[in-house]
Amino acid sequence: MKFLFIALAVAAVIFVRVRIFRGRRRRRASEGPMQDSASEAEAVTSPVSPPRQARARSWHLLEGSLGEVGMVATREISERVRSRIFRIGTLVILVAVAAAIIIPTLHSSGGPTIQTVGVVGRQSPATEQIVKTAGTTEQDSVKIVQEPSLSAAKSGLRSGAVDFVLVDGSQVLLDKPASNSSPADPALVHDVADYLGVLKAYQAAGLTPAQGTQIDRAKPVPVVSLQPSSKGTTKTTSVFGVVLLFLMLTQYNTWILIGVMQEKASRVVEVLLATVRPIQLLGGKVLGIGLVAMGQATLIVGFALAIAAAVGSDLLHGTAPLVLACDLLWLVLGYAFYCWVYAAAGSTAERQDQVQTLALPLSIPILVGYIFSITVASSGNADLFFKVLAYLPPTAPFCMPVLVGLGQVTWWEFVASVLITMAGTVGMAAFAARIYSRAVLRTGGRVRVRELLSRTVH
Amino acid sequence: MSGLLELEGLRRTFGALTALDDLSFEVPAGQVIGFLGPNGAGKTTTMRAIFGLTDLDAGTVQWNGRPVGHAERRRFGYMPEERGLYPGMLVGDQVEYLGRLHGLSAADAATATDAWLERLDIADRRDSKVEALSHGNQQRVQLMAALVHAPELLVLDEPLSGLDPSGIDAIGHVLVDQAQAGCCVIFSSHQLDQVEDLCERVVIIDHGHLVVSGTVDELATSGTRRLVVRVEGDRTAGWARHLPGVTVSEVNAGAVRLALESSVDSDDVLHAAMRAGRITQFSFERRRLSEVFREALA
Repeated sequence: MKFLFIALAVAAVIFVRVRIFRGRRRRRASEGPMQDSASEAEAVTSPVSPPRQARARSWHLLEGSLGEVGMVATREISERVRSRIFRIGTLVILVAVAAAIIIPTLHSSGGPTIQTVGVVGRQSPATEQIVKTAGTTEQDSVKIVQEPSLSAAKSGLRSGAVDFVLVDGSQVLLDKPASNSSPADPALVHDVADYLGVLKAYQAAGLTPAQGTQIDRAKPVPVVSLQPSSKGTTKTTSVFGVVLLFLMLTQYNTWILIGVMQEKASRVVEVLLATVRPIQLLGGKVLGIGLVAMGQATLIVGFALAIAAAVGSDLLHGTAPLVLACDLLWLVLGYAFYCWVYAAAGSTAERQDQVQTLALPLSIPILVGYIFSITVASSGNADLFFKVLAYLPPTAPFCMPVLVGLGQVTWWEFVASVLITMAGTVGMAAFAARIYSRAVLRTGGRVRVRELLSRTVH
Repeated sequence: MSGLLELEGLRRTFGALTALDDLSFEVPAGQVIGFLGPNGAGKTTTMRAIFGLTDLDAGTVQWNGRPVGHAERRRFGYMPEERGLYPGMLVGDQVEYLGRLHGLSAADAATATDAWLERLDIADRRDSKVEALSHGNQQRVQLMAALVHAPELLVLDEPLSGLDPSGIDAIGHVLVDQAQAGCCVIFSSHQLDQVEDLCERVVIIDHGHLVVSGTVDELATSGTRRLVVRVEGDRTAGWARHLPGVTVSEVNAGAVRLALESSVDSDDVLHAAMRAGRITQFSFERRRLSEVFREALA
């Protein structure tokens, strides 16, 4: 099944690449040759325009319901989704997600699923039972074959007729050391060797088969804790969610930062602000990029869930679905909080190097949340400091989903964190809108926030 | 379509620099107004103030007697000094988008965009990215962005800079047509010959305050009268040098250029010339706008 999925994923990648290539070739064919003149470096495009109706369809429902904000948002969505970088980037992320889910499952159960076990000499019924039990544990289908002699068993091993051999119930014989690339499933070999050792120990201790069975059926005593039990931790899902949140928040906020800077650098912002208010322009940009972000995130998470279900990844075990739902919610909340910060920062810059200077300090709270969350998600131990971080708007998007995965948060604590983050977002939006409206029309060098906040604004 | 833009007592300072200093003038409908001044005179600040793009320390901007707000600005068209377009966006999409932001429906924006693309002779560039266009064509697209919604007021900051003669003609014709259709048109430029050809009125400012305002005809004929006289055989203009109130400003290949004070009767000059010899030329000279400009700022 998992190999089928890998083949499908590869086919999907090839299909999309071919579509992109053909589309590019069609465009080139319709555009015709480029003019060589240095003074008039204009590409000759097709004189045939697409039908007006098709263009009219591009104006979406957003415009009707949100006016100028909707128009700005629609332009952002249209331009982002149309860009080749976005399409290829999404494809790369999907491939990376598929690889991250599939490769561990290949590694953890890479051995063959049908195991032929040769038996030499006298075997007790208990030995046969041990082999079958181990096969069930390791999800291997076990077939037992009686070998006439040790030499016949060895030739069977070399030819591959049997995967491993039990000699007199006291030895496991392999053609080569067990590994993921060997015919014998290393986990099955390990289990059988363990069980046979225990069986020999029972016999050496003089236990009857009934006594041995009684010991085998022993159950652990109950373990009771004073705190209510958790619903089970989902380390893999938590780590996956934190990484996804980090990548997406970084990417989408960088879009905002660069988008605002480019509008200022190209001076188009002056044309736009001659007819729309700064808050409308900013709100439309944030909304448009946010919708693209949510669309891409939903696609990636949906794709991850489908692949995880198909290959039997432990990404979906325990509280994993809840953690993923939290990740999506906190992606929205995290984006809503950070987008204003990045927009305000972008409005103070008008060159690429200024953006790079701004990006590092802005990313520090994101990095703090990310590093602490990865550490806690891996170790499973959330200390008080981490729990405090889960209530601070800059770090809550990373920390709170991890606490949910660990089962260390109640519903009201979760809601409290959401409300604190929303309140922080409102405050940040008001502050950022003020910075943006004052800075975005000021050109001729990077604008200092201190100047913008002073009483006299020029 | 008719309207009146009134700027009253505009004042704006940037630290120690006074950009606008009690500046007042009007832009009536149906005329092309040339907005002139040396670099740093405050032209761009004035235009940005009309669109609320810079704060004012004092003064008001009114449209038809009411303060200009967001609703009014949606009916204005603006072409900033530093061109502002999305470099990677298609020409047609960009103009339609800006038309929509000014209140046009999707269908009207598409129709108006097509009409302007045809009018400015760049219909074949509808699906080109702006960054792929030449400077002249980018300038045309920028003008379309200001015109697509049929504005009542058109404010253009240096629309003719960097254009070849055909580009200047194309944009010039559009401005005149807009004014004739009842639009208020004001544009800044340092190309005074073009301004003189296109404009009916000019406003000249310096250091943020008004220096001269009037029709081109008024300015060309106001101030010191200039007379060019040719007298056969005369190379020195000796006959004119003793006339009271008359200054010989230039003698060039027999043509004598005279500046007459307001008290001087030109008939007296004519008689003096006739006494000196046979007259082959006797004409009043209109001042070029460039002279008006230089005199105003002197």
